[in-house]
Amino acid sequence: MAKSIEIKKTKYLNPYIGGVLLGIVLLAANFVSGRGLGASGAIKSAIVTVETTIAPVSSESSGFVKEFRQSHAGNPMKTWLVFEMLGVLVGGFLSGAFAGRLKFKVEHSPKITSMKRLFLALGGGVLFGFGSQLGRGCTSGSALSGMAVLSLGGFITMMAIFGTAFALAYFFRKNWI
Amino acid sequence: MKPLRLLALFIIPMGLIIAAVPQNKTKPYKLTAEQLLGEVNTRTQYLTPDAVADMIIKKDPTLRLIDVRSQDEFEKFNLQGAINIPVTDLLSEKYADILNQDGKMNVFYSNGTLTANEAWMVTRQLGYNNNFVLEGGLNYWFDAILNPNKPASTSPDEEFAKYDFRKSAGAALGGGSAIQPSQDQSTVSAKPAITAGIKKKKAAGGC
Amino acid sequence: MGPLSVNELISENTNLFLAFIIGIGFGFVLEQSGFSSSRKLAGVFYGYDTVVLKVFFTAAITAMLGLLFFSLFGWIDLSMVYVNPTYLTSAIVGGIIMGAGFIMGGYCPGTSFCGASIGKLDAFVFIGGLFLGVFIFGIGYPIWDGMYLAKFLGSPKISTTLGLTDGVFAILLIMVALAMFWVAEWAEKKFPREEY
Repeated sequence: MAKSIEIKKTKYLNPYIGGVLLGIVLLAANFVSGRGLGASGAIKSAIVTVETTIAPVSSESSGFVKEFRQSHAGNPMKTWLVFEMLGVLVGGFLSGAFAGRLKFKVEHSPKITSMKRLFLALGGGVLFGFGSQLGRGCTSGSALSGMAVLSLGGFITMMAIFGTAFALAYFFRKNWI
Repeated sequence: MKPLRLLALFIIPMGLIIAAVPQNKTKPYKLTAEQLLGEVNTRTQYLTPDAVADMIIKKDPTLRLIDVRSQDEFEKFNLQGAINIPVTDLLSEKYADILNQDGKMNVFYSNGTLTANEAWMVTRQLGYNNNFVLEGGLNYWFDAILNPNKPASTSPDEEFAKYDFRKSAGAALGGGSAIQPSQDQSTVSAKPAITAGIKKKKAAGGC
Repeated sequence: MGPLSVNELISENTNLFLAFIIGIGFGFVLEQSGFSSSRKLAGVFYGYDTVVLKVFFTAAITAMLGLLFFSLFGWIDLSMVYVNPTYLTSAIVGGIIMGAGFIMGGYCPGTSFCGASIGKLDAFVFIGGLFLGVFIFGIGYPIWDGMYLAKFLGSPKISTTLGLTDGVFAILLIMVALAMFWVAEWAEKKFPREEY
């Protein structure tokens, strides 16, 4: 027992220190570019690129692509969020390499199989992808960055995300505990 | 428990300080006084009545005439298609999108040039582009466009060309007697190009 | 002075390069805090691991205080900083859908990229799901664009809506967050679990 507590202390960064560092990163993003962090926007860029490459004519007329074009001129992949997410992959990899956490694995509760975990991850991803477009941003883009600039929408989205997850937690407890 | 106390020790005093100090609402000027003086000296903000009349007649979609006089004066007389933004309400939030944009050419006018120039100075110092002043104001507009004086017979050809244009423009804009439209409009000053402003980039964002 | 790119103090390409650097910092901090583990993330909803709550709110408060102080010193023009627009209906409905996705998938988009970068296969599958979800939203856009654009309130600040100054709202948020952290540490003691 004593040993596991010791491991717990050293394995990850203290959450408050992590939080302050993340806040500084967010502050830097706002200072440099006047906007917060984000993730789902990069996926949207990629989808728009694929759609306009495969079916240029029909996709340009869709409201989704039009709405994207209004706010992003030029190549959809040459946007702030795409570069930022490439950085996330590099940063996460570097951190994992330093901490010795690089390993291919499926993480799940011992009560469920890997296959079930993967199906749930896919389902969760679809829901999150859809929700992030409807809610104009994910936990980082809308909730976290929105809260930092005191956006009303950011607070509402944050409460909706965490409130729903809390409310549904009981039904999914076997997957995690 | 210790890290939480440490965090609280930092953020509570910082929160109290930020709650106690007044909010910084000053909008920093985008142009220094020297830059503005430079622009004033080169008179870049002026558009001649001929250029404006030409744009009205050609129904140039980028032109937006802005009457900076009071609402009363605006209702008594205004130029075709003009909107009214009294200079007293210039900084009102509802006009910000009209004044700070990069798609149109805003032309301020008043009776003389004084009020229009005041409006131009304020918006220019805030860094807004594409705002201009009608040279000579409405008074000169009447003289030049609606009641042009026939130049003396000894005048150079350009003067006559200008007169023809003004005469026809005046007719098209309601005033004077109609004559044949002038073929030569080379005297009409070239209109300045619309420059991209700061506004467009601000819209970037979203996740 | 700031934001640098909006005030054209740095070029567009420099801005994108800095985005990459900021992204590295983002990914590094997320991974160091344990956000690459879905079981750790989901822990907040069962009380056994509240790292998400702590990191999330500490980060939001740090950035918020930073922006307010930068504005106070005149280092950043807050009117130039992007404030997320508020579309009431879509913010709530989108948030509910995202919440369901969170508890099902165990990741959010940013953390799934972080998990994928250290080889979590469930994170890769989650990212595949994200692409699918965004794609579905795109092709069905005409069906829900009414909801997407409903109840537009502009880009209000929560402090303005509540009739407070930014600073007073900040200290209130700090007090609420500290109270939540205190409850979270109590919950972690009460529902202990091994570290994943």
